[in-house]
Amino acid sequence: MRVVAGGHRAGRDRLMLAPAVLTILLLFGGALAGAVRTSLVPLGGEAGTDAWRTLLSDGEFRDAVRFTLRTAAISTVLAGVLAVLLAWAARRSGTAVRALLALPVPVPHLLVATLAVLWLSPGGLAERILGSLPVDLVHDQEGAGIVLVYLYKEIPFLVVLLLAAMGQGYRERDEAAAAIGVSPRQRLRWVLWPTIRGPLIVGCIIVFAYVVGAFEVPLVVGPSYPPTIAEYALQRSDADLIAGPGIAAAALLSTAAASMLLAALAVRVAKDPQGA
Amino acid sequence: MRSRARRPALAVVAATVLALPLLALVLRAFADEWRAPALLPQRLGLRGVRVAFGGETGAAFVNSAQVALLTVAIALVIAWPAARVLGERRLRRPGPVFLLLAMPLLIPSYAVGTGLTEWFIRLGLDGTTPGLVAAHLTTVLPYVTLVLLSGFGPRLSAVEEMGSVLGLSPVRRLWLVTIPAAAPTIGAAVLLGFLVSWSDYGASLALGAGRPMLPVVLLPFVGGDPQVAATLTLLFLAPAVAALVLTVRAGRRPL
Repeated sequence: MRVVAGGHRAGRDRLMLAPAVLTILLLFGGALAGAVRTSLVPLGGEAGTDAWRTLLSDGEFRDAVRFTLRTAAISTVLAGVLAVLLAWAARRSGTAVRALLALPVPVPHLLVATLAVLWLSPGGLAERILGSLPVDLVHDQEGAGIVLVYLYKEIPFLVVLLLAAMGQGYRERDEAAAAIGVSPRQRLRWVLWPTIRGPLIVGCIIVFAYVVGAFEVPLVVGPSYPPTIAEYALQRSDADLIAGPGIAAAALLSTAAASMLLAALAVRVAKDPQGA
Repeated sequence: MRSRARRPALAVVAATVLALPLLALVLRAFADEWRAPALLPQRLGLRGVRVAFGGETGAAFVNSAQVALLTVAIALVIAWPAARVLGERRLRRPGPVFLLLAMPLLIPSYAVGTGLTEWFIRLGLDGTTPGLVAAHLTTVLPYVTLVLLSGFGPRLSAVEEMGSVLGLSPVRRLWLVTIPAAAPTIGAAVLLGFLVSWSDYGASLALGAGRPMLPVVLLPFVGGDPQVAATLTLLFLAPAVAALVLTVRAGRRPL
Protein backbone atom coordinates (compact mmCIF):
# COMPACT_ATOMS: atom_id res chain seq x y z
CA MET A 1 0.00 0.00 0.00
CA ARG A 2 2.82 2.33 0.90
CA VAL A 3 4.41 1.75 -2.50
CA VAL A 4 1.19 2.40 -4.42
CA ALA A 5 0.40 5.58 -2.52
CA GLY A 6 4.06 6.72 -2.48
CA GLY A 7 3.68 9.88 -4.55
CA HIS A 8 0.59 11.07 -2.75
CA ARG A 9 2.14 10.36 0.68
CA ALA A 10 5.36 12.22 -0.14
CA GLY A 11 3.31 15.27 -1.10
CA ARG A 12 1.33 15.10 2.13
CA ASP A 13 4.51 14.70 4.17
CA ARG A 14 5.98 17.82 2.60
CA LEU A 15 2.79 19.71 3.40
CA MET A 16 2.99 18.60 7.04
CA LEU A 17 6.63 19.72 7.30
CA ALA A 18 5.98 23.04 5.59
CA PRO A 19 4.75 25.12 8.57
CA ALA A 20 7.78 24.27 10.73
CA VAL A 21 10.32 24.52 7.90
CA LEU A 22 8.91 27.81 6.57
CA THR A 23 8.70 29.37 10.06
CA ILE A 24 12.36 28.59 10.75
CA LEU A 25 13.45 29.67 7.28
CA LEU A 26 11.61 32.96 7.66
CA LEU A 27 12.65 33.79 11.25
CA PHE A 28 16.15 32.31 11.30
CA GLY A 29 16.94 33.26 7.72
CA GLY A 30 15.48 36.70 8.39
CA ALA A 31 17.64 37.07 11.51
CA LEU A 32 20.81 36.12 9.62
CA ALA A 33 19.94 38.43 6.72
CA GLY A 34 19.12 41.21 9.18
CA ALA A 35 22.44 40.78 10.97
CA VAL A 36 24.36 40.80 7.67
CA ARG A 37 22.49 43.94 6.60
CA THR A 38 23.10 45.69 9.92
CA SER A 39 26.82 44.87 9.66
CA LEU A 40 27.06 46.31 6.14
CA VAL A 41 24.67 49.28 6.16
CA PRO A 42 25.15 51.67 9.11
CA LEU A 43 22.22 53.74 10.35
CA GLY A 44 21.57 56.44 7.76
CA GLY A 45 24.86 55.75 5.95
CA GLU A 46 26.28 54.18 2.80
CA ALA A 47 26.78 50.44 2.50
CA GLY A 48 30.35 49.35 3.15
CA THR A 49 32.65 47.10 5.13
CA ASP A 50 33.59 49.68 7.77
CA ALA A 51 32.06 47.69 10.63
CA TRP A 52 33.96 44.53 9.67
CA ARG A 53 37.24 46.42 9.25
CA THR A 54 36.82 48.15 12.63
CA LEU A 55 36.01 44.80 14.22
CA LEU A 56 38.99 42.93 12.79
CA SER A 57 41.47 45.66 13.70
CA ASP A 58 40.15 45.99 17.29
CA GLY A 59 42.52 44.49 19.84
CA GLU A 60 39.69 44.15 22.35
CA PHE A 61 37.79 41.93 19.90
CA ARG A 62 40.84 39.68 19.51
CA ASP A 63 41.09 39.42 23.31
CA ALA A 64 37.38 38.63 23.46
CA VAL A 65 37.71 35.88 20.84
CA ARG A 66 40.65 34.32 22.69
CA PHE A 67 38.88 34.51 26.07
CA THR A 68 35.56 33.18 24.70
CA LEU A 69 37.08 30.26 22.83
CA ARG A 70 39.24 29.30 25.82
CA THR A 71 36.34 29.40 28.30
CA ALA A 72 34.10 27.48 25.90
CA ALA A 73 36.74 24.83 25.14
CA ILE A 74 37.61 24.28 28.83
CA SER A 75 33.92 24.11 29.84
CA THR A 76 33.03 21.71 27.02
CA VAL A 77 35.96 19.33 27.48
CA LEU A 78 35.65 19.20 31.29
CA ALA A 79 31.86 18.79 31.12
CA GLY A 80 32.21 16.03 28.50
CA VAL A 81 34.83 14.04 30.45
CA LEU A 82 33.09 14.39 33.83
CA ALA A 83 29.70 13.56 32.30
CA VAL A 84 31.04 10.33 30.78
CA LEU A 85 32.53 9.31 34.16
CA LEU A 86 29.32 10.19 36.03
CA ALA A 87 27.07 8.43 33.53
CA TRP A 88 29.31 5.35 33.68
CA ALA A 89 29.14 5.37 37.49
CA ALA A 90 25.35 5.82 37.45
CA ARG A 91 24.63 3.38 34.62
CA ARG A 92 22.91 0.87 36.92
CA SER A 93 21.36 3.42 39.30
CA GLY A 94 17.64 3.70 39.89
CA THR A 95 15.18 6.48 39.14
CA ALA A 96 16.03 8.49 42.28
CA VAL A 97 19.72 8.90 41.42
CA ARG A 98 18.89 9.68 37.80
CA ALA A 99 16.34 12.33 38.83
CA LEU A 100 18.90 13.86 41.21
CA LEU A 101 21.54 13.97 38.47
CA ALA A 102 19.04 15.63 36.12
CA LEU A 103 17.97 18.22 38.70
CA PRO A 104 20.07 21.19 37.46
CA VAL A 105 18.92 20.72 33.83
CA PRO A 106 15.74 22.85 34.03
CA VAL A 107 17.36 25.49 36.29
CA PRO A 108 18.06 28.68 34.30
CA HIS A 109 21.73 29.61 33.79
CA LEU A 110 21.12 33.03 35.27
CA LEU A 111 19.95 31.44 38.51
CA VAL A 112 23.09 29.31 38.81
CA ALA A 113 25.17 32.42 38.18
CA THR A 114 23.25 34.23 40.95
CA LEU A 115 23.98 31.33 43.30
CA ALA A 116 27.66 31.44 42.38
CA VAL A 117 27.80 35.13 43.36
CA LEU A 118 25.94 34.49 46.64
CA TRP A 119 28.28 31.65 47.63
CA LEU A 120 31.64 32.16 45.98
CA SER A 121 32.21 35.91 45.65
CA PRO A 122 34.51 37.73 48.13
CA GLY A 123 32.56 38.01 51.39
CA GLY A 124 30.18 35.32 50.14
CA LEU A 125 28.83 32.43 52.15
CA ALA A 126 31.64 29.99 51.33
CA GLU A 127 34.18 32.48 52.61
CA ARG A 128 32.16 33.13 55.76
CA ILE A 129 31.99 29.40 56.50
CA LEU A 130 35.56 28.50 55.58
CA GLY A 131 37.28 31.70 56.69
CA SER A 132 38.80 32.37 53.30
CA LEU A 133 38.88 30.93 49.79
CA PRO A 134 42.31 30.07 48.37
CA VAL A 135 41.45 31.42 44.89
CA ASP A 136 39.14 34.00 43.37
CA LEU A 137 36.24 32.21 41.71
CA VAL A 138 33.92 35.09 40.82
CA HIS A 139 34.89 38.05 38.59
CA ASP A 140 38.35 36.45 38.33
CA GLN A 141 40.63 37.26 35.42
CA GLU A 142 40.80 33.68 34.14
CA GLY A 143 37.05 33.14 33.96
CA ALA A 144 37.02 30.26 36.48
CA GLY A 145 33.61 31.38 37.76
CA ILE A 146 32.16 31.18 34.23
CA VAL A 147 33.54 27.67 33.77
CA LEU A 148 32.18 26.55 37.17
CA VAL A 149 28.66 27.80 36.40
CA TYR A 150 28.67 26.07 33.01
CA LEU A 151 29.96 22.81 34.52
CA TYR A 152 27.15 22.85 37.11
CA LYS A 153 24.61 23.26 34.29
CA GLU A 154 26.08 21.24 31.42
CA ILE A 155 27.39 18.09 33.15
CA PRO A 156 23.84 17.03 34.15
CA PHE A 157 22.59 17.88 30.64
CA LEU A 158 25.22 15.59 29.07
CA VAL A 159 24.65 12.87 31.71
CA VAL A 160 20.95 12.78 30.80
CA LEU A 161 21.82 12.39 27.10
CA LEU A 162 24.40 9.67 27.84
CA LEU A 163 22.18 7.70 30.23
CA ALA A 164 19.40 7.73 27.62
CA ALA A 165 21.85 6.16 25.14
CA MET A 166 23.13 3.62 27.70
CA GLY A 167 19.75 1.90 28.01
CA GLN A 168 18.54 -1.66 27.54
CA GLY A 169 20.27 -2.27 24.20
CA TYR A 170 23.64 -1.21 25.58
CA ARG A 171 23.33 -3.45 28.65
CA GLU A 172 22.48 -6.45 26.48
CA ARG A 173 25.41 -5.82 24.12
CA ASP A 174 27.78 -5.32 27.05
CA GLU A 175 26.66 -8.55 28.75
CA ALA A 176 26.94 -10.44 25.47
CA ALA A 177 30.49 -9.14 25.01
CA ALA A 178 31.39 -10.09 28.60
CA ALA A 179 29.92 -13.56 28.09
CA ILE A 180 32.16 -14.29 25.12
CA GLY A 181 35.19 -13.18 27.14
CA VAL A 182 35.84 -9.61 25.94
CA SER A 183 37.98 -7.80 28.54
CA PRO A 184 36.48 -4.81 30.43
CA ARG A 185 38.90 -2.42 28.72
CA GLN A 186 37.99 -3.73 25.27
CA ARG A 187 34.31 -3.46 26.16
CA LEU A 188 34.78 0.27 26.90
CA ARG A 189 36.40 0.68 23.49
CA TRP A 190 34.12 -1.52 21.38
CA VAL A 191 30.77 -1.42 23.20
CA LEU A 192 30.56 1.75 25.33
CA TRP A 193 32.27 4.20 22.98
CA PRO A 194 30.17 3.41 19.86
CA THR A 195 27.06 3.69 22.06
CA ILE A 196 27.80 7.12 23.50
CA ARG A 197 29.84 8.71 20.69
CA GLY A 198 26.85 10.16 18.81
CA PRO A 199 24.97 11.74 21.75
CA LEU A 200 28.24 12.87 23.38
CA ILE A 201 29.38 14.74 20.27
CA VAL A 202 25.95 16.27 19.60
CA GLY A 203 25.68 17.29 23.27
CA CYS A 204 29.17 18.80 23.30
CA ILE A 205 28.41 20.82 20.16
CA ILE A 206 25.29 22.26 21.82
CA VAL A 207 27.27 23.05 25.00
CA PHE A 208 30.12 24.68 23.09
CA ALA A 209 27.79 26.77 20.92
CA TYR A 210 25.83 27.81 23.99
CA VAL A 211 28.91 28.86 25.97
CA VAL A 212 30.26 30.82 22.99
CA GLY A 213 26.99 32.68 22.48
CA ALA A 214 25.38 33.26 25.87
CA PHE A 215 26.30 36.26 27.90
CA GLU A 216 24.19 36.42 31.04
CA VAL A 217 26.67 34.14 32.84
CA PRO A 218 29.84 36.15 32.01
CA LEU A 219 27.93 39.39 32.75
CA VAL A 220 27.21 38.14 36.28
CA VAL A 221 30.35 36.16 37.23
CA GLY A 222 32.92 37.06 34.56
CA PRO A 223 35.83 39.53 34.78
CA SER A 224 35.31 43.13 33.64
CA TYR A 225 38.07 42.53 31.06
CA PRO A 226 38.42 40.64 28.74
CA PRO A 227 34.76 40.44 27.70
CA THR A 228 33.28 37.42 25.91
CA ILE A 229 32.34 38.02 22.26
CA ALA A 230 28.65 38.46 23.13
CA GLU A 231 29.52 40.93 25.91
CA TYR A 232 31.75 42.79 23.45
CA ALA A 233 28.84 43.02 21.00
CA LEU A 234 26.54 44.35 23.72
CA GLN A 235 29.10 46.95 24.83
CA ARG A 236 29.57 48.13 21.24
CA SER A 237 25.86 48.64 20.57
CA ASP A 238 25.44 50.45 23.90
CA ALA A 239 28.51 52.67 23.41
CA ASP A 240 27.72 53.98 19.93
CA LEU A 241 24.16 54.14 18.65
CA ILE A 242 25.21 54.80 15.03
CA ALA A 243 28.24 52.60 14.29
CA GLY A 244 27.84 50.22 17.28
CA PRO A 245 25.05 47.94 16.03
CA GLY A 246 27.00 47.22 12.83
CA ILE A 247 30.11 46.16 14.75
CA ALA A 248 27.97 44.14 17.18
CA ALA A 249 26.23 42.35 14.31
CA ALA A 250 29.58 41.58 12.66
CA ALA A 251 30.95 40.18 15.94
CA LEU A 252 27.86 38.01 16.50
CA LEU A 253 27.92 36.79 12.89
CA SER A 254 31.52 35.65 13.30
CA THR A 255 30.60 33.60 16.41
CA ALA A 256 27.62 32.15 14.55
CA ALA A 257 29.83 31.18 11.61
CA ALA A 258 32.41 29.64 13.95
CA SER A 259 29.77 27.57 15.77
CA MET A 260 28.22 26.31 12.54
CA LEU A 261 31.64 25.44 11.10
CA LEU A 262 32.58 23.56 14.25
CA ALA A 263 29.25 21.70 14.23
CA ALA A 264 29.75 20.69 10.60
CA LEU A 265 33.23 19.35 11.41
CA ALA A 266 32.03 17.51 14.52
CA VAL A 267 29.10 15.93 12.67
CA ARG A 268 31.54 14.74 10.04
CA VAL A 269 33.67 13.18 12.78
CA ALA A 270 30.64 11.60 14.42
CA LYS A 271 29.37 10.43 11.01
CA ASP A 272 25.99 9.62 12.51
CA PRO A 273 24.56 12.90 13.82
CA GLN A 274 21.42 11.33 15.32
CA GLY A 275 23.38 8.68 17.18
CA ALA A 276 20.86 6.11 15.97
CA MET B 1 22.54 -5.39 44.79
CA ARG B 2 24.06 -1.98 45.46
CA SER B 3 26.13 -1.27 48.53
CA ARG B 4 24.13 0.59 51.13
CA ALA B 5 27.19 2.60 52.17
CA ARG B 6 26.91 4.71 49.03
CA ARG B 7 23.50 6.11 49.93
CA PRO B 8 24.57 8.49 52.72
CA ALA B 9 27.49 9.67 50.60
CA LEU B 10 25.10 10.40 47.78
CA ALA B 11 22.73 12.26 50.12
CA VAL B 12 25.60 14.43 51.39
CA VAL B 13 26.70 15.25 47.85
CA ALA B 14 23.13 16.06 46.83
CA ALA B 15 22.69 18.30 49.86
CA THR B 16 25.90 20.27 49.30
CA VAL B 17 25.53 20.62 45.57
CA LEU B 18 21.78 21.13 45.25
CA ALA B 19 19.82 21.78 48.44
CA LEU B 20 22.21 23.98 50.44
CA PRO B 21 22.80 26.58 47.71
CA LEU B 22 19.06 26.95 47.18
CA LEU B 23 18.30 27.13 50.89
CA ALA B 24 20.75 30.02 51.16
CA LEU B 25 18.83 31.71 48.35
CA VAL B 26 15.58 31.56 50.36
CA LEU B 27 17.37 32.95 53.42
CA ARG B 28 18.93 35.73 51.31
CA ALA B 29 15.53 36.64 49.86
CA PHE B 30 14.07 37.29 53.31
CA ALA B 31 17.14 38.88 54.89
CA ASP B 32 16.69 42.64 55.10
CA GLU B 33 20.12 42.88 56.70
CA TRP B 34 22.91 40.31 56.27
CA ARG B 35 26.37 41.80 56.55
CA ALA B 36 29.62 39.83 56.33
CA PRO B 37 31.06 37.96 58.12
CA ALA B 38 27.84 36.84 59.89
CA LEU B 39 26.64 33.36 58.93
CA LEU B 40 23.00 34.21 59.60
CA PRO B 41 21.07 37.38 58.70
CA GLN B 42 20.94 40.19 61.28
CA ARG B 43 17.36 41.09 60.40
CA LEU B 44 14.66 39.28 58.44
CA GLY B 45 12.00 41.09 56.45
CA LEU B 46 9.92 41.43 53.31
CA ARG B 47 11.75 44.27 51.58
CA GLY B 48 12.81 41.94 48.75
CA VAL B 49 9.24 40.81 48.11
CA ARG B 50 7.96 44.41 48.11
CA VAL B 51 10.54 45.54 45.54
CA ALA B 52 10.28 42.37 43.45
CA PHE B 53 6.50 42.53 43.09
CA GLY B 54 6.24 46.28 42.74
CA GLY B 55 6.44 48.30 39.54
CA GLU B 56 8.56 47.07 36.66
CA THR B 57 9.54 43.68 38.04
CA GLY B 58 5.95 42.62 38.67
CA ALA B 59 5.15 43.49 35.06
CA ALA B 60 8.23 41.55 33.95
CA PHE B 61 6.93 38.36 35.56
CA VAL B 62 3.62 38.68 33.74
CA ASN B 63 5.30 39.58 30.41
CA SER B 64 7.71 36.64 30.58
CA ALA B 65 4.95 34.16 31.46
CA GLN B 66 2.69 35.51 28.71
CA VAL B 67 5.39 35.36 26.02
CA ALA B 68 6.53 31.88 27.10
CA LEU B 69 2.99 30.43 27.14
CA LEU B 70 2.10 31.93 23.74
CA THR B 71 5.40 30.80 22.22
CA VAL B 72 4.94 27.21 23.43
CA ALA B 73 1.32 27.05 22.25
CA ILE B 74 2.23 28.23 18.76
CA ALA B 75 5.33 26.03 18.63
CA LEU B 76 3.27 22.98 19.56
CA VAL B 77 0.76 23.55 16.76
CA ILE B 78 3.46 24.14 14.13
CA ALA B 79 5.76 21.37 15.35
CA TRP B 80 3.09 18.64 15.65
CA PRO B 81 2.70 17.69 11.95
CA ALA B 82 6.45 18.03 11.32
CA ALA B 83 7.29 15.86 14.34
CA ARG B 84 4.86 13.21 13.03
CA VAL B 85 6.59 13.03 9.65
CA LEU B 86 10.07 12.98 11.22
CA GLY B 87 9.18 10.66 14.12
CA GLU B 88 7.60 8.07 11.87
CA ARG B 89 10.71 8.21 9.65
CA ARG B 90 8.64 8.90 6.57
CA LEU B 91 11.31 11.00 4.82
CA ARG B 92 13.84 9.21 2.69
CA ARG B 93 16.44 11.91 3.37
CA PRO B 94 15.66 13.65 6.69
CA GLY B 95 19.18 15.13 6.93
CA PRO B 96 18.48 18.61 5.53
CA VAL B 97 15.39 19.08 7.73
CA PHE B 98 17.32 18.06 10.86
CA LEU B 99 20.13 20.41 9.84
CA LEU B 100 17.68 23.30 9.47
CA LEU B 101 16.16 22.50 12.88
CA ALA B 102 19.62 22.35 14.49
CA MET B 103 20.89 25.66 13.09
CA PRO B 104 18.96 28.04 15.40
CA LEU B 105 20.21 26.04 18.41
CA LEU B 106 23.82 26.83 17.47
CA ILE B 107 23.35 30.57 17.11
CA PRO B 108 23.29 32.84 20.19
CA SER B 109 19.77 34.12 20.81
CA TYR B 110 21.27 37.62 21.11
CA ALA B 111 22.39 37.28 17.47
CA VAL B 112 18.89 36.16 16.42
CA GLY B 113 17.39 39.09 18.32
CA THR B 114 19.86 41.59 16.86
CA GLY B 115 19.24 40.29 13.33
CA LEU B 116 15.46 40.45 13.69
CA THR B 117 15.60 43.97 15.19
CA GLU B 118 16.46 45.33 11.74
CA TRP B 119 13.10 44.13 10.35
CA PHE B 120 10.94 44.33 13.46
CA ILE B 121 11.56 48.05 13.92
CA ARG B 122 10.28 48.66 10.38
CA LEU B 123 7.24 46.47 11.05
CA GLY B 124 6.60 48.16 14.40
CA LEU B 125 7.02 44.81 16.16
CA ASP B 126 9.97 45.57 18.46
CA GLY B 127 8.98 45.49 22.10
CA THR B 128 5.56 43.99 21.32
CA THR B 129 4.33 40.58 22.46
CA PRO B 130 4.04 39.21 18.87
CA GLY B 131 7.61 40.38 18.16
CA LEU B 132 9.04 38.70 21.27
CA VAL B 133 7.01 35.53 20.60
CA ALA B 134 8.36 35.38 17.03
CA ALA B 135 11.95 35.83 18.25
CA HIS B 136 11.57 33.14 20.94
CA LEU B 137 9.90 30.83 18.41
CA THR B 138 13.18 30.71 16.46
CA THR B 139 14.80 28.60 19.20
CA VAL B 140 11.70 27.12 20.89
CA LEU B 141 10.26 25.58 17.71
CA PRO B 142 13.34 23.39 16.98
CA TYR B 143 13.47 22.16 20.61
CA VAL B 144 9.74 21.35 20.67
CA THR B 145 9.94 19.53 17.31
CA LEU B 146 12.99 17.49 18.34
CA VAL B 147 11.41 16.39 21.64
CA LEU B 148 7.98 15.76 20.14
CA LEU B 149 9.21 13.51 17.33
CA SER B 150 10.48 10.95 19.86
CA GLY B 151 6.84 10.31 20.84
CA PHE B 152 5.74 9.28 17.35
CA GLY B 153 6.52 5.93 15.84
CA PRO B 154 5.14 2.48 15.04
CA ARG B 155 3.74 1.90 18.54
CA LEU B 156 1.64 5.08 18.48
CA SER B 157 0.50 4.37 14.90
CA ALA B 158 -0.63 0.89 15.96
CA VAL B 159 -2.74 2.25 18.83
CA GLU B 160 -4.24 4.88 16.50
CA GLU B 161 -5.13 2.22 13.96
CA MET B 162 -7.00 0.35 16.68
CA GLY B 163 -8.93 3.55 17.36
CA SER B 164 -9.87 3.86 13.68
CA VAL B 165 -10.94 0.22 13.48
CA LEU B 166 -13.20 0.85 16.47
CA GLY B 167 -14.86 3.61 14.43
CA LEU B 168 -13.51 6.78 16.09
CA SER B 169 -13.70 9.92 13.97
CA PRO B 170 -10.29 11.61 13.33
CA VAL B 171 -11.03 14.35 15.89
CA ARG B 172 -12.17 11.93 18.58
CA ARG B 173 -9.23 9.67 17.80
CA LEU B 174 -6.81 12.58 18.27
CA TRP B 175 -8.48 13.51 21.55
CA LEU B 176 -9.08 10.05 23.00
CA VAL B 177 -6.12 8.07 21.64
CA THR B 178 -3.24 10.10 20.24
CA ILE B 179 -2.94 12.86 22.85
CA PRO B 180 -3.24 10.57 25.91
CA ALA B 181 -0.78 8.08 24.39
CA ALA B 182 1.78 10.78 23.58
CA ALA B 183 1.13 12.76 26.79
CA PRO B 184 4.59 12.27 28.42
CA THR B 185 6.36 13.46 25.26
CA ILE B 186 3.96 16.38 24.81
CA GLY B 187 4.56 17.30 28.46
CA ALA B 188 8.33 17.18 28.05
CA ALA B 189 8.15 19.28 24.86
CA VAL B 190 5.91 21.89 26.50
CA LEU B 191 8.13 22.18 29.57
CA LEU B 192 11.36 22.40 27.62
CA GLY B 193 9.86 24.97 25.24
CA PHE B 194 8.49 27.01 28.14
CA LEU B 195 11.83 27.00 29.96
CA VAL B 196 13.80 28.00 26.86
CA SER B 197 11.55 31.02 26.33
CA TRP B 198 11.23 31.79 30.06
CA SER B 199 15.00 31.93 30.62
CA ASP B 200 15.92 33.61 27.32
CA TYR B 201 18.05 36.67 27.86
CA GLY B 202 19.63 37.58 24.52
CA ALA B 203 16.63 37.88 22.21
CA SER B 204 14.53 39.65 24.87
CA LEU B 205 17.32 42.16 25.48
CA ALA B 206 17.86 42.86 21.78
CA LEU B 207 14.18 43.13 20.82
CA GLY B 208 12.53 44.15 24.08
CA ALA B 209 12.82 47.90 23.40
CA GLY B 210 12.70 48.50 27.15
CA ARG B 211 9.74 46.17 27.75
CA PRO B 212 10.52 44.44 31.06
CA MET B 213 11.20 40.69 30.82
CA LEU B 214 12.13 38.74 33.95
CA PRO B 215 15.74 37.67 33.11
CA VAL B 216 16.58 41.14 31.77
CA VAL B 217 15.17 42.84 34.87
CA LEU B 218 16.81 40.33 37.23
CA LEU B 219 20.39 40.61 36.00
CA PRO B 220 21.30 44.12 37.25
CA PHE B 221 20.03 43.25 40.74
CA VAL B 222 22.57 40.41 41.12
CA GLY B 223 25.39 42.87 41.63
CA GLY B 224 23.34 45.77 42.94
CA ASP B 225 20.76 44.38 45.39
CA PRO B 226 21.32 40.71 46.32
CA GLN B 227 18.08 40.50 48.35
CA VAL B 228 15.87 41.54 45.43
CA ALA B 229 17.96 39.35 43.13
CA ALA B 230 17.37 36.35 45.40
CA THR B 231 13.61 37.01 45.55
CA LEU B 232 13.38 37.35 41.76
CA THR B 233 15.53 34.26 41.35
CA LEU B 234 13.06 32.23 43.42
CA LEU B 235 10.25 33.50 41.19
CA PHE B 236 12.42 32.62 38.22
CA LEU B 237 12.89 29.09 39.57
CA ALA B 238 9.18 28.37 40.13
CA PRO B 239 8.46 26.99 36.61
CA ALA B 240 11.61 24.85 36.78
CA VAL B 241 10.36 23.25 40.01
CA ALA B 242 6.95 22.69 38.42
CA ALA B 243 8.73 21.18 35.42
CA LEU B 244 10.63 18.77 37.62
CA VAL B 245 7.55 17.64 39.55
CA LEU B 246 5.58 17.09 36.34
CA THR B 247 8.46 15.29 34.61
CA VAL B 248 8.91 12.90 37.53
CA ARG B 249 5.15 12.21 37.59
CA ALA B 250 5.10 11.65 33.83
CA GLY B 251 8.14 9.38 34.20
CA ARG B 252 6.12 6.21 33.90
CA ARG B 253 5.25 6.17 30.24
CA PRO B 254 1.97 4.49 29.31
CA LEU B 255 3.35 3.45 25.92
